[in-house]
Amino acid sequence: MARLFACIISPDIKRDKASLTAVAREFSYLIKTLEDGILFDISGLERLIGDRDTIAAKIMGSLRQQNIAGSIAVAETIDSACILARQNGKTDTFHSPESFAQLPLSDLPIEQDTLNVFHDLGLRKVEDLLAIPQDELITRYGKDFRNIIDVIEEKSSSMLVPNIKDRRVNWSYDLDLPVQDFEQLIFILNHGFEKLFAAIRDVGLSTEHLDIAFTLKSQPVKCYEIKTSFPTLERAFWLKLVNLRVSLDPPEAEIVAVSVTAHFSKPRPSQRGLYSVSRPEPESLLLTVNKLKKLVGENNVGLPVMLDGRLAEPFALDPDLLPAGVESIQLEPRLPTLAFTYYRPPQHAEVVYRDGRLVFIRTRHFDGYVSEYSGVWKGNSSWWDKPWKTQEWDVEIENRGIYRLSKANKEWFLLGEYD
Amino acid sequence: MLHHCNIIVVPMSHLSLVKKLSVLQEEQRHVDEIALEFAGLVFERGSIVDISGGAASGKTSIALSLLAKLTVDGEVCGVVDSCNGFDPQSAATSGVVLENLLWIRCGGDVEKAFTAADHLVQAKGFGAIWLNLSGLPQRKLRMVPKTYWYRYRTRIKETPTLIFVTAEEPVTGSASQHAYTFSRPVRANWKGSGRFKLLRSFDIEMMSRKQFYGLPMQTTIEADYSNG
Repeated sequence: MARLFACIISPDIKRDKASLTAVAREFSYLIKTLEDGILFDISGLERLIGDRDTIAAKIMGSLRQQNIAGSIAVAETIDSACILARQNGKTDTFHSPESFAQLPLSDLPIEQDTLNVFHDLGLRKVEDLLAIPQDELITRYGKDFRNIIDVIEEKSSSMLVPNIKDRRVNWSYDLDLPVQDFEQLIFILNHGFEKLFAAIRDVGLSTEHLDIAFTLKSQPVKCYEIKTSFPTLERAFWLKLVNLRVSLDPPEAEIVAVSVTAHFSKPRPSQRGLYSVSRPEPESLLLTVNKLKKLVGENNVGLPVMLDGRLAEPFALDPDLLPAGVESIQLEPRLPTLAFTYYRPPQHAEVVYRDGRLVFIRTRHFDGYVSEYSGVWKGNSSWWDKPWKTQEWDVEIENRGIYRLSKANKEWFLLGEYD
Repeated sequence: MLHHCNIIVVPMSHLSLVKKLSVLQEEQRHVDEIALEFAGLVFERGSIVDISGGAASGKTSIALSLLAKLTVDGEVCGVVDSCNGFDPQSAATSGVVLENLLWIRCGGDVEKAFTAADHLVQAKGFGAIWLNLSGLPQRKLRMVPKTYWYRYRTRIKETPTLIFVTAEEPVTGSASQHAYTFSRPVRANWKGSGRFKLLRSFDIEMMSRKQFYGLPMQTTIEADYSNG
């Protein structure tokens, strides 16, 4: 099938480039912006829309909807489309390829001296030039004139190099029957991912961000934004990840349509250092973390982070972070240091004290005499405007362990043990 | 023929670039080992280590030292915190690189703790997985089928992962390659007097449950107050 190109030359290109691009996007994904307009590949649209005139009329309709003035040309070669669209500078007009032979020679990329000669010889239109034997023209004006002849014969082989690149690609599917269980959709989604990832692979890119939208029966659209910290086009991995994510927050109603948008990103370099230590593969780690979140809850899996404050528990679990595998410089090996383990919840204790000294501690699990203790340690993050919140002691109990004892509201608790 | 030509046959190992097979084997063996030199403990990768002991027996300190050694090198480790008792501040003080540590809180649920450990084992590539079962009732732990441990052992074999299990009593049976019982033979060392005392250190003994005739190893756990 012959190629077909459309060219829109518009005085509004600088003012409303985005709208003009949007019009082109309705018809093509191979788009090139020009200084004075836009060029796009519409090959194959004859089957969908109709003949050239119908396509041009459709493009013109879209232009009018966007309130953009411009002239349109549809032709089999890029040069013909551009020359036709540029002629006369009239707007809101369609130039048919049949009118190409009537074009003045001044619209062609011919040097002014040659044009003057043609004018003196009475050659004014393309059809006049076509009547002259090609060999004569090439002998007189050199081999480069072959390009002009190709243009007037509509045989030029200029390529359309897109300079507008998509940042995302979309796939959607309307189901024949509503589906209640997402797992029934996985094979359809698998098919969609195959298409999406093939499209991404074609442009030499990858993705680390998918937006999935489920149209629900009598409910608002349910959207999921799934991001990874690395780009990948591994279909099985994405399917597992989507399944885990959806199972954590399933749709509230039956699904009637599904739409997936993949955002482009640069592919991941796969080269690793020879001496790098073993780490879980990023895909495997992310899947494992999501499985764990499903098992123990979303807020119970993540990285420990220290908080900047003199708090009773100056740390938190950040569920949005994943282990990075960063190397740290530590020259001297460390000796084991005292570690603390919290009791959840703290153990209630009965404390006997005599002359202001701790003497005996009894809990539900054990009791014993206090052999040594230190404290009282008072703690609070905002001591300047609030009273001291906590009172703590470190106590060693005979034939037992070393514990952290706390007093709050006249009640005693063991917060944890040193181990 | 050789005698006539006066050729002397020199073993290849005399050349500086060629190492003896025994040396190569030794080097290869040590790559797969994680040594905690201060305590004299050496653990093989791809195996299970069982540490048991009561309160203040040093099992958490040793576990954190192990995690510190691995995470400093950029290895990713996991903590299955069965009773939510893990203290990241202690870990940071011990030198653990928290950015390389995945923390899973299981809220006292034995089944979740074991399933979480299973997921980590299946992920492959973790340097160490610390399964901290301290604080769980012994009654519940005894109900865990021994097959779990053999399953873990089979899964991590030939991988770089070390499973480090801490509990108040031994739990892994013969599935573990190393099993130690930790204890604190003497009282802790306190410094200062009156109300102004500080816990400074305590000594621990580590008795192997696999080598009955060996002497227990000893080390000291010291308090670090440098971070306040």
